[in-house]
Amino acid sequence: MSVKYIPVQWNPNKWIYDGIMLAGVAAFLWVFIHVTPEILSHERPINSQVHNARAFGACAFLMLSIILAIGPLAKLDTRFMPLLYNRRHFGVMTAFVATAHAGYILNWYFAFSFVPKWDALILSNTNYGQLLGFPFEALGAFALVILLILAATSHDFWLKFLTAPVWKRLHYLIYLAYVSVVAHISLGILQDQQSLFLPVFFIVTAFLVALLHVWAYLAERKTGDPLASAEGDWMRVCQADEIDEGRARIALLPDGKRVAVFKHEGKLSAISNACAHQNGPLGEGRIIDCLVTCPWHGFQYRVTDGQSPAPFTEKIPTYNLRVQDGAVLVDPKANPPGTHVDPVEVA
Amino acid sequence: MADNKDKPFFVGYLTAPDGLRSFLIGIGIGLILLMAGVGLGIGATQDDPGNGAFRGDYGRQTVTGVMELTPYPVVRVTQGSEHVPEGHTLMLSAGGKQSLMSRVRDLDGQLVTVSGTILDRGELDMMQVRGGQNGISRAEGDAPEMDSEDLGRWRIAGEICDGKCLAGAMRPGTGIAHKACANLCLIGDIPPVFVSTQPVEGSEFLLVVGPDGTIFPKSAYDLVAAYISVEGKVVRHGDLLVFHLEPDTAELVQ
Ligand code: HEM
Ligand code: FES
Repeated sequence: MSVKYIPVQWNPNKWIYDGIMLAGVAAFLWVFIHVTPEILSHERPINSQVHNARAFGACAFLMLSIILAIGPLAKLDTRFMPLLYNRRHFGVMTAFVATAHAGYILNWYFAFSFVPKWDALILSNTNYGQLLGFPFEALGAFALVILLILAATSHDFWLKFLTAPVWKRLHYLIYLAYVSVVAHISLGILQDQQSLFLPVFFIVTAFLVALLHVWAYLAERKTGDPLASAEGDWMRVCQADEIDEGRARIALLPDGKRVAVFKHEGKLSAISNACAHQNGPLGEGRIIDCLVTCPWHGFQYRVTDGQSPAPFTEKIPTYNLRVQDGAVLVDPKANPPGTHVDPVEVA
Repeated sequence: MADNKDKPFFVGYLTAPDGLRSFLIGIGIGLILLMAGVGLGIGATQDDPGNGAFRGDYGRQTVTGVMELTPYPVVRVTQGSEHVPEGHTLMLSAGGKQSLMSRVRDLDGQLVTVSGTILDRGELDMMQVRGGQNGISRAEGDAPEMDSEDLGRWRIAGEICDGKCLAGAMRPGTGIAHKACANLCLIGDIPPVFVSTQPVEGSEFLLVVGPDGTIFPKSAYDLVAAYISVEGKVVRHGDLLVFHLEPDTAELVQ
């Protein structure tokens, strides 16, 4: 199973995923916009444009924080993996919500002037040399541009067009966007805020996002994939009996690539650990219906030749291997993607 | 990675295994509740934007008085209306973020009639003047002599705002988050107002002009919305104080 250039591949789980996400966004905005004005006991209400801008801005910040938390959570506990599955839709939705925030601001604070709105956004405050009164809007605008670029390139077409490594690197810009949003809020609304809820929520959330990343990084380093050890020209991965049926062991090769050695029907096969889709870790997946299944989005490959079954065309490299004194040895030179290698008896 | 051998395995296009399904349902419900809760928390704890407002409820106000260009136009009211007392000094603006400057250039010291909508916030008020002749016209009769009193140099602490948003054109209309908006008003020659933390001769709000009685100087834009202390001459025009702010003397107050 893999993708062709189909506009969007839908299935029931994506509908459920998107449904829950949209329900969350709708709940946030509805409560913020329609319930809280009744609760606030101000003599005169906050202008609705500002009230709405705040609702959409805060919602976008929360969404972005959740999106970024999913990655490390899935590393720390595989039960969170399904949240990765359709994370791109979450990201696209965040770009929409953030755009609405910017729209309300632009059509209020930057309207009513003889200066055109966009010029006003750039020119009205140029106090870049000072933190107090810094043009924090520019930081928001920068983040929004990144979110829009990522949303526009989120489709699998771009993934193929740019290739998975380039695409992944591009999408790491999400971290730059987040840092920029954190600065946008810190230098903006936080400078004025009297009540404590927003500052506390904001600091705790941003801190949690950072903490989860550090934690997942440390956990991964501790339990990270072992380095294969040299046995002449071949690399030793593990003992053959350490591999469970339908599962794999992963090892890091000298060239920095990872190999996954699977056991299927009692025989061993070695393939590249990197999924052709988004570099997902195939060795953390399983063999389902005789096919290696990626844990991230479920692309499938035959374990003997690294090819996706027809009609799909994805191919990943395979490795030659042999078993010697119960140890699994892999030839570190990868075969071209799609090369058949006979599975090896454990003996 | 860690030993996930016995954890259920999810494949996106298949139905989730049982144990995982209840976990995911929990996460889904938790997510919706979290988002609603955060929306409630942030929304319901927003700061009070103050009680400034457009007083549409007053109806249109029309007053007569002597035009003074400070250089921002103010009217020393000689004949008041229901909500604008005689003797009051009334600041003026046009619609949106636009000033009246081009329409009053030749009217300094003249008796005029102005008509429009009042914005007010406690002691501070301003008139948004209607367009054309209906908004501003020369009045019959001679303009009485109006005096102003030099109150000497002061150092005062507080915040520079645009007088119109502060008076109620926007809620909130002050603060750092609103700074770019305030700057844009000042670029449009809306009268700047200094909100002093300590009343100066009984006034909390002072109209701000440049050091030599010019419009708000470019070099002072970076001071807008920050909490500062700054020096300058204070001049009383009726019940309005005009602060000749000297940007070079400004200090940020933490
Ligand atoms: C062109 C882009 C943007 C502009 C011009 C902009 C402008 C602003 C302004 C003026 C405020 C202060 C509003 C107030 O008076 O309370 C604000 C607040 C905020 N912005 Fe933005 N922003 C932009 C993009 C973003 C983005 C991309 C995000 C997040 C993903 C974001 C998140 C926030 C948040 C969380 C707040 C505080 C809301 C609150 O008070 O509850 N902004 N923004
Ligand atoms: S299926 Fe997406 S990375 Fe493997």
